[in-house]
Amino acid sequence: GPHPSPNVLTGGDVDELFDVKNAYYIGSYQQCINEAQKVKRKYAVVMDDIKASSSPELQAVKMFAEYRANEGKRDAIVAELDKKMSKNVDVANTTFLLMAASIYYHEMNSDAALRTLHQGESLECMAMTIQVLLSLDRVDLARKELKKMQEQDEDATLTQLSTAWVNIAVGGEKLQDAYYIFQEMSDKYSPTLLLLNGQAACHMAQNKWEEAEGVLQEALDKDSSHPETLINLIVLTQHLGKAPEVTNRYLSQLKDAHRAHPFLKDYLTKVR
Amino acid sequence: HLSHIQSQAQAHVFHPKRPWILASLHNGVIQLWDYRMCTLIDKFDEHDGPVRGIDFHKQQPLFVSGGDDYKIKVWNYKLRRCLFTLLGHLDYIRTTFFHHVSPFSFLLASLHDQTIRIWNWQSRTCVCVLTGHNHYVMCAQFHPSEDLVVSASLDQTVRVWDISGLRKKNLSPSAVETEVRGISGVDLFGASDAVVKHVLEGHDRGVNWAAFHPSMPLIVSGADDRQVKIWRMNESKAWELDTCRGHYNNVSCAVFHPRQELILSNSEDKSIRVWDMSKRTGVQTFRRDHDRFWVLGAHPNLNLFAAGHDSGMLVFKLERERPAYAVYGNMLYYVKDRFLRQLDFSSSKDTAVMQLRSGSKFPVFSMSYNPAENAVLLCTRATNLENSTYDLYSIPKESDSQNPDAPEGKRSSGLTAVWVARNRFAVLDRMHSLLIKNLKNEIVKKVQVPSCEEIFYAGTGSLLLRDADGVTLFDVQQKRSLATVKIAKVKYVVWSADTSHVALLAKHAIMICNRKLESLCSIHENIRVKSGAWDESGVFIYTTSNHIKYALTSGDHGIIRTLDLPIYVTRVRGNSVYCLDRECRPRVLNIDPTEYRFKLALVNRKYEEVLHMVRNAKLVGQSIIAYLQKKGYPEVALHFVKDEKTRFSLALECGNIEVALEAAKALDERGCWERLGEAALLQGHHQVVEMCYQRTKNFDKLTFLYLITGNLAKLRKMMKIAEIRKDMSGHYQGALYLGDVSERVRILKNCGQKSLAYLTAATHGMDEEAEALKETFDPEKDTVPEVDPNAQLLQPPPPINPLDTNWPLLTVSKGFFEGMAADMDVDAPGGEGWGEDAELQLDEDGFMDAQDGLGEEGGATKEEGGGWEVEEDLDLPPELELPAGAGVGAEDGFFVPPTKGMSPTQLWCNNSQLPVDHVLAGSFETAMRLLHDQVGVVQFGPYKQLFMQTLSRGRTCYLGLPSLPCLRGNPQRNWKDCGAKQGLPAVGLRLSDLIARLQQCYQLTTAGRFEEAVERFRTILLSVPLLVVDNKQEIAEAQQLITICREYIVGLTMETERKKLPKDTLDQQKRLCEMAAYFTHCSLQPVHMVLVLRTALNLFFKLKNFKTAASFARRLLELGPKPEVAQQTRKILAACEKTLTDAHQLNYDPHNPFDLCAASYTPLYRGRPVEKCPLSGACYCPPYKGQVCRVTQVTEIGKDVIGLRVSPLQFR
Repeated sequence: GPHPSPNVLTGGDVDELFDVKNAYYIGSYQQCINEAQKVKRKYAVVMDDIKASSSPELQAVKMFAEYRANEGKRDAIVAELDKKMSKNVDVANTTFLLMAASIYYHEMNSDAALRTLHQGESLECMAMTIQVLLSLDRVDLARKELKKMQEQDEDATLTQLSTAWVNIAVGGEKLQDAYYIFQEMSDKYSPTLLLLNGQAACHMAQNKWEEAEGVLQEALDKDSSHPETLINLIVLTQHLGKAPEVTNRYLSQLKDAHRAHPFLKDYLTKVR
Repeated sequence: HLSHIQSQAQAHVFHPKRPWILASLHNGVIQLWDYRMCTLIDKFDEHDGPVRGIDFHKQQPLFVSGGDDYKIKVWNYKLRRCLFTLLGHLDYIRTTFFHHVSPFSFLLASLHDQTIRIWNWQSRTCVCVLTGHNHYVMCAQFHPSEDLVVSASLDQTVRVWDISGLRKKNLSPSAVETEVRGISGVDLFGASDAVVKHVLEGHDRGVNWAAFHPSMPLIVSGADDRQVKIWRMNESKAWELDTCRGHYNNVSCAVFHPRQELILSNSEDKSIRVWDMSKRTGVQTFRRDHDRFWVLGAHPNLNLFAAGHDSGMLVFKLERERPAYAVYGNMLYYVKDRFLRQLDFSSSKDTAVMQLRSGSKFPVFSMSYNPAENAVLLCTRATNLENSTYDLYSIPKESDSQNPDAPEGKRSSGLTAVWVARNRFAVLDRMHSLLIKNLKNEIVKKVQVPSCEEIFYAGTGSLLLRDADGVTLFDVQQKRSLATVKIAKVKYVVWSADTSHVALLAKHAIMICNRKLESLCSIHENIRVKSGAWDESGVFIYTTSNHIKYALTSGDHGIIRTLDLPIYVTRVRGNSVYCLDRECRPRVLNIDPTEYRFKLALVNRKYEEVLHMVRNAKLVGQSIIAYLQKKGYPEVALHFVKDEKTRFSLALECGNIEVALEAAKALDERGCWERLGEAALLQGHHQVVEMCYQRTKNFDKLTFLYLITGNLAKLRKMMKIAEIRKDMSGHYQGALYLGDVSERVRILKNCGQKSLAYLTAATHGMDEEAEALKETFDPEKDTVPEVDPNAQLLQPPPPINPLDTNWPLLTVSKGFFEGMAADMDVDAPGGEGWGEDAELQLDEDGFMDAQDGLGEEGGATKEEGGGWEVEEDLDLPPELELPAGAGVGAEDGFFVPPTKGMSPTQLWCNNSQLPVDHVLAGSFETAMRLLHDQVGVVQFGPYKQLFMQTLSRGRTCYLGLPSLPCLRGNPQRNWKDCGAKQGLPAVGLRLSDLIARLQQCYQLTTAGRFEEAVERFRTILLSVPLLVVDNKQEIAEAQQLITICREYIVGLTMETERKKLPKDTLDQQKRLCEMAAYFTHCSLQPVHMVLVLRTALNLFFKLKNFKTAASFARRLLELGPKPEVAQQTRKILAACEKTLTDAHQLNYDPHNPFDLCAASYTPLYRGRPVEKCPLSGACYCPPYKGQVCRVTQVTEIGKDVIGLRVSPLQFR
């Protein structure tokens, strides 16, 4: 059946949840929470509406949260999810699709993730599809998916972000475009860790190490133990020719605080 | 662009230099106005009736006026009076002009009596009368450079007169003589001095005005036939060139534009018209509703005109002088003469980057620059706003500044266009609705906006919308207004570099807001606000018509310097204000930023800076002290002040009792001590209070102070003082406070209060005293008073603990400055700590001591442990061959998951044969294979750390969707042109870095920490095969680096070995000497060679091998060691030379070149068989072939290999 587009921006109406979503996408979580509370106070009616019809969605979120929280329960949760997926799925429940795909993605089961996302038509589903495709090094398919997104709403924050991801993967001249997207959002909203690391990745891909140092320092000032920032600093400090102990410091910090980070997992398998 | 002076003007003239205009009025008054400020400067009221002629003298502070009262008056505006009046006219005077070339002191007047008269205003005589017109002469003017006069008359003609005769005569010695002949003689010589040269006939009615062109032989005239005519002349004739038709009433005045091909005219039809001289067509018309225009004048140098009409006068610009410009980073983009120019602020390089499409008669109004796309939007405003357009240009990448490209732009109608994102811009169209367009100039969206007459940039995705009385911040994506601020008619908007602040500039107001458009301050200006820019410290620097000023976001503002002419600020950095002037020339003006920096530092409480400025004392002055006091920074002001009085009041104001006391001591005035006493008391500082009371001799208060502080000794002293001072009541009070009853009795007795004295004594049980007193009573006259049996004794409570120290003081917040003020006396702050550190770093030889940090790092690398069996553990995921065209088959809802693509890292392996590229790709196995084949590596344990380190810089991270694992970036060194398949990783290890690391190794060597040094040399050596270099020279340098490391490793390892050897027997000693000698043949830095040679020298000398020792000594001296060492060496050398023999035979021949076996430490003389390490090139005796190299510890000695490969050049 017809389902409401989660991105109300395409219509002419004002999206009351705009700030909440936006803050979430660009990684400004604290702001996201603040905005959400504001909206809640102000638009209690809207929230009530959602509540009445949203229990399957909330369940989906709960499922994902449980998956992330309990390493021991993961197999059971995935088995349960597989079962659900084999039946008829409510494709209008974007949240469910996203949560399911997230779990599969974490499980490194990109086939299942893509299959799940394929059923949704929202910008969110497409954005996640792009991310999965990029992790599979299928830039060609990611570009196709991006084109669909752009047709739906080119100016949406998610479309812009997805454009940046694809641009980084494409490389070359597109790197600067990607940089501008992150930078523009930093200017417009606030320079979050997500946006700063995006900028840094663009700079480094263009071998602009000094420029990368600036943004990563800013990121480090915001959070001294953010894993992606640390990883990028490990890369950067070496390219800047800093003394090895500087790099090692970031590496040990990463090891201490984020042992489960995929980057480190990959890295440590090489040591064995 | 019109400023309006509210007074009725008959004539007017601009001052050639100052911003003044002189206007003569119908009522006979002449007014001097400042047209920039719109203020009346002076009034000259002597004429009777209308004044129609007025002119400034070009050089002197004079002006001339002529009126309907037949008088010509010459005035001095500095002296503010009329100097003299020229009489003798018999009719109204229409115009009066000075001859502008000195030394001619001519003055020209046109008259209603049909004549034109030329006066010498210095001799005050009429020197010439020009007759010929047969009706009123309405206007007569000198030619700007030639001896010509042009006149216009109601007789329908324009006449050109030749006055060269007059000029000659005036220069001749007889000039004075002729002049004195006076008016009576005019007719006699008038005809010969000035003759009619041309009579221009063509107007059908009376001619009101005629004027010469400033440089060309042209005349313009305006007449009652409603026409403006252009005439041309040469030596022999003059003819009508063309006619401008359009006015529909009498043309009052017509003039040439001083610099452009334009004519301006005005008329009784209430309009001013601008005509194109070449096309003879009207280009612009300005109308007034009710006022007829009478007169028109141009400023000689500036783009300014004035027009007088029935109810006043207008001063106007013909076109906007404000250049269109935009600043991005270090670049200024601006439009000049149909070119878009780019100025690099840092290099001052100014180039034309493109030519603009022609076709608009209006100049570019505003510009919006897009750095991401290197594109500009140029908006052009038409007189009729609805006809405004904008052009979208993509700036060419490469451009020849002499002859720049003229790219095809995209033009559309619209009032304003500004970028809102890197690929979107907003257009305010003529219906005042908002369109969002893409780079192809196609409409993407239409956005409903609140009423809006102008839009401004407001960062990505936002706009500022201006309506009549405010500005609204509008989010284009959400289509919603975020904030509104009230300010009328904003003209320009200037964002700070980080877009945290915005300055809204209106005609006479500035408002500074934050990002959320909350007003932080607003400033009113009496003069027009022109432009502004933010400096790097967040101060807004702006210009008005005549000042450069600053504004802090706190609202503090002030003048920085004055300006002669308006400028448009583009950027402010440090002391430099970059700007464009009205001719659109980039300029840099210097300003003194001290004042606003100082204020900013105060606002931000950056007291170090404030103090620095105070110390460097550029700022001292009453105004700044007053400022500080007013703004609540008395403690800061305190540091400026030398004057004790001010210092005293400031100190009191900020509660600084110590400083106040100091100042009070210096001043020693009663008033000061009193005020200080009060302030100190409030703070509880009773010691100062005491001093103040002492100084002011305030005994009562002092006494009370001692009472409440329990200071009985001083209280008694006070009582004594009171007694001496004969202050009876003070004395008594003291006794009362002290509880000294006998003293009270004594006082009462002495002052004749016998009864009271008796009562006091009796009540307190001082019976003896009471009795004695009682006896003095005269029983006849006196009655002995009754003692109250129930009396209570008045005794002060005894102090429990006398208070010597101060009371707990009121806390006065000790500011930064008090602390710093104390520090100011300390000579070298923190010097000690540094000294210690610095000393620690040097040992007696001046060598650097151990560096702990590096040691730590060495520890980290030791983690590796034993047998690192790499080969088995490292398996790469099998490279998946990709079936072509496999993808997401979305048709029919049947989903086929895509296969994995080729990752960039796999491509790196495919594209390169350099080991490091494989390491970076994480393909350790292939990397090892390459190292094995190229440089014979067989043991990979030591490479583990290097591999891991290298791998860790191969991949960056960026976050995709929240809650999902991050995405990976793969920086590539050939990212610009590698396309999808030819990528190679960014290496991140540079030859120069490795070379730089040698220094640490050298330092460790110098410090004698050989094992650590060897470790590090080896790391460098092993890193060399992981380099990628670009050219042959670098390949050679890489090889050389290996050699350096090898020499040190061999030498230092041997030396370490030598130190472990026993030295008991002669043979053992001989071996030690040999090894020391071999060491001197390693290639080392001179500083190290000195040490090595000294060791060898000492050992050989001890062994009595003087001959060889002498050779070491000579080699040592050649290296130029330190004086002490040299002296010592010379002594030894002298000793050796006495017996130049070797006592023992050693396996060492300095003259026979040899390589050193790095395993056995024996010489391999040239020609003998030798095996080498394929990487380090270390030499070995043949038996060592197949073993692991001692130097590298990773390579196989004597292995047959391809050779070191560190550059793609080596594969060609």
